[in-house]
Amino acid sequence: MAEVKVENLTKSYGRLVAVNDVSFSCKDGEFFTFLGPSGAGKTTTLELIAGIKKPDSGKIYIGDELVNELPPQERDVAMAFENYSLYPHFSVYENIAFPLKAPTRKEKLSSKEERKRVEEMANLLGIGELLDRRPQHLSGGQRQRVSLARAMVRRPRVYLLDEPIAHLDAKLKVAARTTLKRLATKLGTTIIYVTHDYKEALALSDRILILRAGLVEQIGTAEDVYLSPVTDFVARLIGDPPINLIDGELVSVDDKFLFKVNDEFSFEIQKEILEKAQRIARQENGKLKVRIGIRPVYVGVSEEKLSPNSFQLPVYAVEHEADSSIVTFELKDTFLIAKKNKKVNWGISDKVYLDFDQTHIHFFKKTLELSKR
Amino acid sequence: MRRALFWFAVVIILVGFLWPIVWVYVTSLKSVADIFRPEKLVFSPTLYNYRYLVTVRPSIMEFRNALIITFASTALVMAVSLPAAYSFSRFNTGGGHLLFITISTRMFPGVVAALPFFFLFRNMGLLDTHIGLVLLYLYFNMSFATFLLYGFFREIPEELEHSAMVDGYSRLATFRKVIFPLIRPGAAVTTIFCLIWAWNEFFFAFLFTRRVARTVSVGLAVFWGSVEIQWGPMAAMMSLAILPTLAAAWFMQRFIIRGLTFGAVKG
Repeated sequence: MAEVKVENLTKSYGRLVAVNDVSFSCKDGEFFTFLGPSGAGKTTTLELIAGIKKPDSGKIYIGDELVNELPPQERDVAMAFENYSLYPHFSVYENIAFPLKAPTRKEKLSSKEERKRVEEMANLLGIGELLDRRPQHLSGGQRQRVSLARAMVRRPRVYLLDEPIAHLDAKLKVAARTTLKRLATKLGTTIIYVTHDYKEALALSDRILILRAGLVEQIGTAEDVYLSPVTDFVARLIGDPPINLIDGELVSVDDKFLFKVNDEFSFEIQKEILEKAQRIARQENGKLKVRIGIRPVYVGVSEEKLSPNSFQLPVYAVEHEADSSIVTFELKDTFLIAKKNKKVNWGISDKVYLDFDQTHIHFFKKTLELSKR
Repeated sequence: MRRALFWFAVVIILVGFLWPIVWVYVTSLKSVADIFRPEKLVFSPTLYNYRYLVTVRPSIMEFRNALIITFASTALVMAVSLPAAYSFSRFNTGGGHLLFITISTRMFPGVVAALPFFFLFRNMGLLDTHIGLVLLYLYFNMSFATFLLYGFFREIPEELEHSAMVDGYSRLATFRKVIFPLIRPGAAVTTIFCLIWAWNEFFFAFLFTRRVARTVSVGLAVFWGSVEIQWGPMAAMMSLAILPTLAAAWFMQRFIIRGLTFGAVKG
């Protein structure tokens, strides 16, 4: 068990900077997740920590030890790979026992102890029946569990898990997530986890590091990144349906401030959030431009005008879920989505009233291109 | 009907491949008089031709030479090619150029290399020596073996090595425990190809040896004299020379089948 500290880590592949000046510190026993779209540098960062790749610059500490110059086998970490990387010439048992037999391990286990450890881990992950099989004869879900068991059979200073459950189907994924969370809590060891699935990240992590094109976008708890995303990128990455991002300008009318997209679509900004809006807004062609973000659940929709701040838009489409409806409105360069916890039966182009819950409006600088896709 | 056609084709192919071999074995058992009467299907077999190889014109040295040179050169080839191919596949040693140069030694006709080697060997006193021929075969087989092994190494995903290293094994230990067991069928096929090639090689053996290091393939040609062609003893020696390659082919076929399923181990 140990903390992991990374300082100014940089790694390029040719001209592409995969990891760009990344720094973070992951506490002892913490479940720490790298979240980001593919190509964000998550796996590369993990491989740098494992020692599989060498950084161009920066420092990596495991415990208090600087491990930059140590080869992977001396870093005392365990890793599960995205493609499982099972040894095809070994049985499941031998695969799981392989790290226990490593020459770099200080204590040698007797074959009895070894079998006990392997069986314990295999039973925990529900693969106790498969120990004599070869990896080729396993299903994807079984391989994933063997790969996890192999990574977790040892008690290293830190576990590195690279999308270990990414390739499972939805149902299996939820079950695997539960097992993983239970295992993590039981072991209490530092875990660094890589995923592109925000649900996994929110469900499992103590803290989440969000990467974008090799750069750290935000580090925080699940609440932090969901409730107070620091950029529009973070906001978009987390949540389904995705957060609404709307570009507009701040206009002062009399002693009021309006957020105005166009003539039909504008509303007054309440005093509580005005200060923040003004801080983030930027001058652009003589106008004070700002981007707001609001999650679909905080967009109220109804047939009657509920507050003086309500405004009217024509419905673009209505989709139904089991006990809710998703209403979409078309804006110039994006869609506005509202999620209503009640079934509604509006037709296309019906005009309905929208009402933003202003305590949940975020203000952002533009770092993301909007599109209707 | 389709089955009949299939078996018809099989028979034709088999006859095409097996007839020359059958002819060699049959001829080796015939007496001098019977050899020139191929229409006579029933004859009384004799071991005269085989006794000839032992008593009249001893050939045991040629077999011994060929064995020594074949095995020594193949062992050296594998000792050089295994690490070379591994390094080409994992570290891209030489940025691809070195691999190309290695393979390019097989792109020109052997004769081109023969002359410079001949003069070099003459000056160094390597003509008609075992070590000379071993070095030549090393030169020719190494490029082929490296290329073949390179392909086999490339098929083994690099993540397996990363995984083993994170699991606590050094690169050397990883090679021994993970990579070598997976490359073994490929290495066996490569080894056998080298053995067969070195055993059968005629051109360089003919040019670079006289008596001391003469191999079987050259020995066979000696029966083709200026006065007569000794078909009987030649066929007898051929029958014996074929045996090791037949054994090797039989041994190799199970590895080739294993090698074909090799791709299935990924992931």
